[in-house]
Amino acid sequence: MEPALRLTGLTKRYGDQTALDGIDLTIARGAFCVLLGPSGCGKSTLLRLLAGLERPCAGRIHLGATCVADGATGALVPPGRRDLGMVFQGYALWPHKTVADNIGWPLEVAGLGRNDRRARVGAVASMLEIEPYLARYPAALSGGQQQRVAIARCIAPRPSLLLFDEPLSNLDAQLRVEMRSELLRVHRETGATVVYVTHDQVEALTMASRIVVMNRGRIEQSGAPREILAAPRTAFVAGFLGNPPANLVTADPLPAWHVDGVPLKAPPVRDGLAVEAAPLRLMVRPERVVLHREPGRHRLPGRFIEALPLGGGQLVGVTGPFGRITAIVPDWPAGRYGDPVHVELPPEPDAVFTRNGERIA
Amino acid sequence: MMPTTGAPGGLLAGHPSRTTAALTGAAFALVALLVLVPLANIAVELASTDGAQALGDVFAGRIARNMLWVPLVNTFTIGFAVALACVVLGGVMAWLVTMTDLPLRRPIGVLAALPFMIPTFAVALSWTVVFGDDRLGPAAAGMLMQLGVDVPGWLAWGGIPVTVVLIAHLYSIAYLMIAAALVLVGRDLTAAAEIAGAPRNRILRAIVFPVVTPSVVAAGALCFAEAVSSFSAPAILGLPVRFHTLATRAYGAIETGSPERGYVLIAVMIVTAALFLALAAALQRRGQSFATVGGQGSRRGRMPLGRWRWPLALAALVVVVATTVLPALVLLLSSFSSQSGNPFASLTTHYWIGASDPAIAQGQEGVLRNPQLIRATVVTLGVGLATGAAALLAALVIGLAIGRLRGRFPAGLLQQLSFLPLLIPGLAIGAACIGFYGAPVGPLPALYGTPAILVIAGVAATLPFAVQSVVSARAQIAPELEDSARIAGAGPPRVLAAITLPLALPKLIAGFVLVFVKMVRDLDLVILLYTPQLPLLTVVAFRYASDGFAQFAHAVTVVILLVSVLAHLAASGFGRATQPWLRD
Repeated sequence: MEPALRLTGLTKRYGDQTALDGIDLTIARGAFCVLLGPSGCGKSTLLRLLAGLERPCAGRIHLGATCVADGATGALVPPGRRDLGMVFQGYALWPHKTVADNIGWPLEVAGLGRNDRRARVGAVASMLEIEPYLARYPAALSGGQQQRVAIARCIAPRPSLLLFDEPLSNLDAQLRVEMRSELLRVHRETGATVVYVTHDQVEALTMASRIVVMNRGRIEQSGAPREILAAPRTAFVAGFLGNPPANLVTADPLPAWHVDGVPLKAPPVRDGLAVEAAPLRLMVRPERVVLHREPGRHRLPGRFIEALPLGGGQLVGVTGPFGRITAIVPDWPAGRYGDPVHVELPPEPDAVFTRNGERIA
Repeated sequence: MMPTTGAPGGLLAGHPSRTTAALTGAAFALVALLVLVPLANIAVELASTDGAQALGDVFAGRIARNMLWVPLVNTFTIGFAVALACVVLGGVMAWLVTMTDLPLRRPIGVLAALPFMIPTFAVALSWTVVFGDDRLGPAAAGMLMQLGVDVPGWLAWGGIPVTVVLIAHLYSIAYLMIAAALVLVGRDLTAAAEIAGAPRNRILRAIVFPVVTPSVVAAGALCFAEAVSSFSAPAILGLPVRFHTLATRAYGAIETGSPERGYVLIAVMIVTAALFLALAAALQRRGQSFATVGGQGSRRGRMPLGRWRWPLALAALVVVVATTVLPALVLLLSSFSSQSGNPFASLTTHYWIGASDPAIAQGQEGVLRNPQLIRATVVTLGVGLATGAAALLAALVIGLAIGRLRGRFPAGLLQQLSFLPLLIPGLAIGAACIGFYGAPVGPLPALYGTPAILVIAGVAATLPFAVQSVVSARAQIAPELEDSARIAGAGPPRVLAAITLPLALPKLIAGFVLVFVKMVRDLDLVILLYTPQLPLLTVVAFRYASDGFAQFAHAVTVVILLVSVLAHLAASGFGRATQPWLRD
């Protein structure tokens, strides 16, 4: 089947600043694809390129079988003819139109008759439970209601591609949880392909059928949430994803594995490991870190920062010359800030990355 | 976030660089034709043989003392006195309204912002009604004299009244600027210092003064520049007793056929005003960057005034009433009085609707049936509306160019250039326009004596305000509002008609009205440009006043005030009507 969208070598520069650097990406029809990354990573720019609000400097965008943007020829299909809808971070509701007109105007532009428009507005309004507010102006609505109107306006023309730009970041925590399931329902009921931008990994992990992790204008890794969590391909992904994210400890394999001179247990130096790329970064999941109150041969000396009680254990933060390490331990006595803690890493790290973040083991 | 402009095909920010280039070219051409070339023309005139001669005469010739040095000393003395008094008066008012528990501080605060909107010549005229003496004939004697008070000459005419009138007009600028700074100091900052245990005078010295000082100095510089630029006040209160400032001397020189000498004086005015206004702008910017620190200051912890509360409130009330309602009331009463300054004189409607009576004012008819006046009203309204429309159009071109150039060097330059007229006295802009457009320019015929030159000068003088209204209208429309309309499939014209214009309209209308009102009540700018065939209300009022037809002058001034107030009311009514979404 034809993918919903395909990007090849997509590049966007502003002056001498490169926002997107040769993006290749294919998204299947009906997917819920989340673009995840820190602010400034280029995810919003990518969304705006998809929408046709920006012109690529190089590379191509295909929506279905149609090429809608080609950096080489400058060809560009305008946003209105791409069969997509978009929800903006600030909702971008037209303040001078009522809720009904906000939802209905795109339909009018699309050439729908009055009766069709009224029926369509009524249908999406009931789907998003905003019927009581149809006659109001956006300023008279709460943030959550405005969000629903923005979604209704986006889906009313029944586009096959829905773009969301950090749509939940202006809502309070409780409403955000509520709207997450609401958005998933919209996705299910419309059957449209969704491209969803966020910097919040909880949103990404709970909603996505596919996550694309971005950093500095490039794709670090893309795949199903579990896949990315289980097997991060770069140090950036390892340190960004996961709750809490995995520890990345800088270690030196020569002459024998050590962290700041403290030898590690059962050094995993193997053939073919790029010793010349040292120092390396060891990924260790918090569950596998062991904490001791007494010093020992393979233990890294650190200091207690904080403890967060979890259901079945404690999440303990330790700081030291190695940086910060978080551990999930079954039990840890109430500590004071600065108490000495001794950290023991497992003999086999979960992954090994080069200094540049490439995974080598 | 990446910059969100730069959308291809976007109307106000966008790709097709040919459109951008065309807009930018048009914008620079407008600024050049309106502001730069006429000003450069003054410099060229001064560099000519006649100009060099005039420079020598004015600075070192036999006439130098009367032409330049005495008016210069007068002008600067007035300027410094006005600046000092405005800062003190405006500062105290600002402090009372924003920081203390003054009773009635809300209405006092509102009224204190108004004097700036009443033209100086109106205040100056009302001064003559109260304080005038019989030097211009027994009928011109003011109220005090009619009541038997011996009004000394220095209080009736000359430097002192000019200074007082300018203070009454300008202190509200100082009030607004200092109040804005004080509000931003916020009582949170002072509360923090109080919690730290600092005593009150220490808080004032250590916290309030350092933060407010830039605004205070800026306000002083602005008032100085405005006072130095003013033509109307010294023209009405100084000329009858041959008290001259640079402005009246320049006016006199140009009117009596030695424009080069006038240009020399104009150049001195421009340099002086520009220096001080640039200083004000620089300080104001620093003050603002200071001020962005505090956001939502709580309104708690007002300083208690104790037993001074009511006396201070009364004093503040007297100040604001005397500088707003009172002048208008005095002029209104005078226009119905058979003897301007005499409170016991019989009332008459002659000056409004009376038929020609050779015994009164050389047979002038009442203003409402006087063809000359009706003509002046029509011309004034026409010129005002045309200037408003033209200024807005010019500002749209410039504003769109600034938007499209987004942050690149020419955008900043364009903005700076379009704000340049703020630094130039109205009289100087008038002089520059008459010097350049008064004679044929290339294929363009001489515009002297046509409404066109009034509109050009008006657009040049009001360009900063018009551009500001366009830029702020643009800034308040989030780009996403247009983006989402484009995603909905609307083309640029439809986005403009359905989204951009309705949202920008209130600000644009406000800008239009501002320009219109500035034009209707302006005297400084048009005094050199009007012709008898092209009378303007303010000029007619000025002429009547100079000819001793006080009540006529006052009636016309009342008409001008009425037009201004009505325009403001219409604008705010229109603003509400065009923004139903704000009523919910």
